[in-house]
Amino acid sequence: MADLGRAALVLSLGLSVYALVAGVTSALTNRRRLASSARNALYCSFATTLIAAVVLAVALVRHDFTFSYVAAHTNRTLPTAYALSAFWGGQEGSLLLWLLVLTGYGALSVALNRKLLRDLTAWVVPVFGGIASFFAFVLVAVATPFGTQTAPLDGAGLTASLQNPYMVAHPPMLYLGYVGLSVPFAFAAGAMLSGNTDERWLVATRRWTLAAWAFLGFGQLLGAHWAYVEVGWGGYYAWDPVENAALMPWLAATAFLHSVMIQERKGMLKVWNMVLVALAFELSVFGTFLTRSGVVNSIHSFAKSSIGSWFLVFVVISSLFSLCLIMFRLPLLKARTKLESALSREAAFLYNNLLLVALCLTVLWGVLFPILTQLVKGETRTMGRPYYDFFLRIFGLPLLLLMGIGPLIAWRKTSVRALLRTLAWPIAVTVVCGLVLLAVGAGSSKPGIIAYTFSAFVLASIVLELVRGTRATGSLFLLVSRNRRRYGGYVVHAAIVLLAIGIAGSSAYGRSKEVRLVPGQSTTLSGYTLTLRNVTVTPTPQAIETRAIFSVRGRWNGTLSSGDNQYFFPPEPSREVGIKTSWLRAEDLYVIADDVNPKTKVVYAQVLVKPLINLIWVAGFVFLLGAGVALWPDAREQRRLVTRLAPARA
Amino acid sequence: MPTRSPARLVVALGVAAVLAVFLLYTAVAGNSTPTLTPSQLTGHAGKLAVVGVVVAPVRGDSHSAGGLRFGLKNIDGKSGIVPVVYHGDSPPPLFTVGRSVVVSGSYAHGRMTGNNILTKCPSKYTATAPKA
Amino acid sequence: MTIVLGTLLAAVAVLLVALPFLREPVAGDDRLDRPGEEEERRLGLVEQRDQALAALKELEFDHRTAKIGDDDYRELVGPLRQAVARALRAIEGDQPRIPQE
Repeated sequence: MADLGRAALVLSLGLSVYALVAGVTSALTNRRRLASSARNALYCSFATTLIAAVVLAVALVRHDFTFSYVAAHTNRTLPTAYALSAFWGGQEGSLLLWLLVLTGYGALSVALNRKLLRDLTAWVVPVFGGIASFFAFVLVAVATPFGTQTAPLDGAGLTASLQNPYMVAHPPMLYLGYVGLSVPFAFAAGAMLSGNTDERWLVATRRWTLAAWAFLGFGQLLGAHWAYVEVGWGGYYAWDPVENAALMPWLAATAFLHSVMIQERKGMLKVWNMVLVALAFELSVFGTFLTRSGVVNSIHSFAKSSIGSWFLVFVVISSLFSLCLIMFRLPLLKARTKLESALSREAAFLYNNLLLVALCLTVLWGVLFPILTQLVKGETRTMGRPYYDFFLRIFGLPLLLLMGIGPLIAWRKTSVRALLRTLAWPIAVTVVCGLVLLAVGAGSSKPGIIAYTFSAFVLASIVLELVRGTRATGSLFLLVSRNRRRYGGYVVHAAIVLLAIGIAGSSAYGRSKEVRLVPGQSTTLSGYTLTLRNVTVTPTPQAIETRAIFSVRGRWNGTLSSGDNQYFFPPEPSREVGIKTSWLRAEDLYVIADDVNPKTKVVYAQVLVKPLINLIWVAGFVFLLGAGVALWPDAREQRRLVTRLAPARA
Repeated sequence: MPTRSPARLVVALGVAAVLAVFLLYTAVAGNSTPTLTPSQLTGHAGKLAVVGVVVAPVRGDSHSAGGLRFGLKNIDGKSGIVPVVYHGDSPPPLFTVGRSVVVSGSYAHGRMTGNNILTKCPSKYTATAPKA
Repeated sequence: MTIVLGTLLAAVAVLLVALPFLREPVAGDDRLDRPGEEEERRLGLVEQRDQALAALKELEFDHRTAKIGDDDYRELVGPLRQAVARALRAIEGDQPRIPQE
């Protein structure tokens, strides 16, 4: 069976290379049958990759330990769902997942657009072929999931902390996002290569980009939630390079999603959009390079791997390709209209681009800093949390404000007076909100209160926009259904506001305490009194579970436990925190018993109270809802597109 | 007279503002920490982080006055052992002899005094070596 | 068994890749189906019309939702309506691409 998988991957490589070479040749020499053949090769590369994926999946489910990969990442007692999730739990399997999603996206996006964008798809096919060739090559020659061995009695098992529903969903979500950014990139490159740099490629890839961006955003939130409940340090985001690897392409894609609206309506920011889509794609591959190469210290990986060099070469070549293409096609990327005023919606989008790119590059600088200092000074220096927090405030807070101003400002130009008149209600709500917050003591944190008041401003402007729009159209449903992208976007903005409030609340207004307790002793924090009742040790088939049991009185009455599990197979410990979520009080009580001595019953624990943190998780669902509204197919829009792009009949 | 587009000015001012903030921050706050291996510590002192593999024996308690005491050596094994005294929260559950860790704190007179330990999650991305 | 499956897979893939040539061993017109000059011009005019219509629709909506005042609306609506009319006329007459203002 492993041989079949290997053969399928070799075929996939051959077909991808053919799609690249035949695709380029057909586009340059204007040959229809060859272009069609290249397209078929792309479809077939998906089919053969799918076969390879099925072979691996079956081996995982059947615990076929003749596959080295299966033996390294599963064992006989692993439940089927987790055995299957081991597909993306290791290097080789995750690369195969990448190739599968890439060829799948490529085949589908080309198939759906081949009639409407005939000239473009002739060039899009070889771009997909080129990217797929790289990944297929790595799978065939560098990191194959189909290495075989004499089957051991049992496998090494899956790390305990990865046996978690969030970790089952988090990687595929991220991959659907990372790889999805290849679609707008391929079409952008196709547009430039074919010389058709107008808005057609944008319209064709709009939903693909939005879907990829939504997957990437939600995937990051899943990872953050896993870190919060499973890793158990009390936080959810550590600005670790591997975490930043997902954030950077998401920020670039956010800028791109906004900026394309200007090109579609006004024919402006064409160069920006080409640069942004290339940046998003390159950062998604660069992120994979960071994760797998071990070039930067991360809690996710210390191992240096040879695969990193291959990824670095690919990133460099594809970046140079993108840069040269943009420079070569600059004359075709001239704006059709000009920015008329620094106070207009077009200008607001431009400021939005600047801030998002600045934030993205700041994070990139922080990630690369250790590598650069090592190269230049021979000494590795790392940027700490304060660096990231500082720039998140500097760029993030103005972005938040812009989210409130942008939707209410007019196109082309407006005056300061007209703008202030439009923003009168949101400003009034913001001022009132600010005063109320100061009165209840939120002024203890300046960034916190600024974030809260800006959030109030954005929410007020969204509500105002909905109210005015409903008055103008007569029905909220009609308003939203006639412009799903815009109002889906507003729902996403509301999600970002919830995220901002959750982040500000839990970080700026959280409380924590470290204590040493023996049974009978208590500690109090923010209205919760915790008393250590007992220390228990419970053997289970999978682990020895040590727990400190606390009774809680005060703002909540109940029992919380925290401690650790010592797993047998693989032999690893994992921290188990105690979390009590109160939706009414909008806060979490979070207990980390990080040193529990069953003999002496002495417990060292951290107690944390985290206000509003659950808004971060709620934001994830609101985010998906907004993306869903924006993605909802519009039959009228589709008919308009077909009418516009269908070939003229003689 | 035709109105000149302010786009270029806006972009130029925006980029200048970002750079100014950056330079100011770097000059005032800095906030980067040297991250060294045990073999690189010679000649260094002060606030830094050390990356290495935990070496036995591991003695003491991070909560006690004496602290948790252990050694660190290079991940590739090619260095001497640097003694570490760690005070603070209990180390993460994955902390054990042979594990790669990052210890943050200060280094002086050949000894590392740590106040934070990071251990890595087991790496998913090492190559799967076929066994005999 | 694996060899048979692998060979079958390869054969099917080669067949599908060669299919365009097998269907038309000799093609009358093997040129890529690209939009010609006429069609490109038509597309350009249609895009101009759609953008002008969208801009007019946005302006009307912004005015109805009080984002712009009556004075600004009156200043902007005239040129936009003229742009729409020009685009519609150009499509009817299929004239050469009209310059942007």
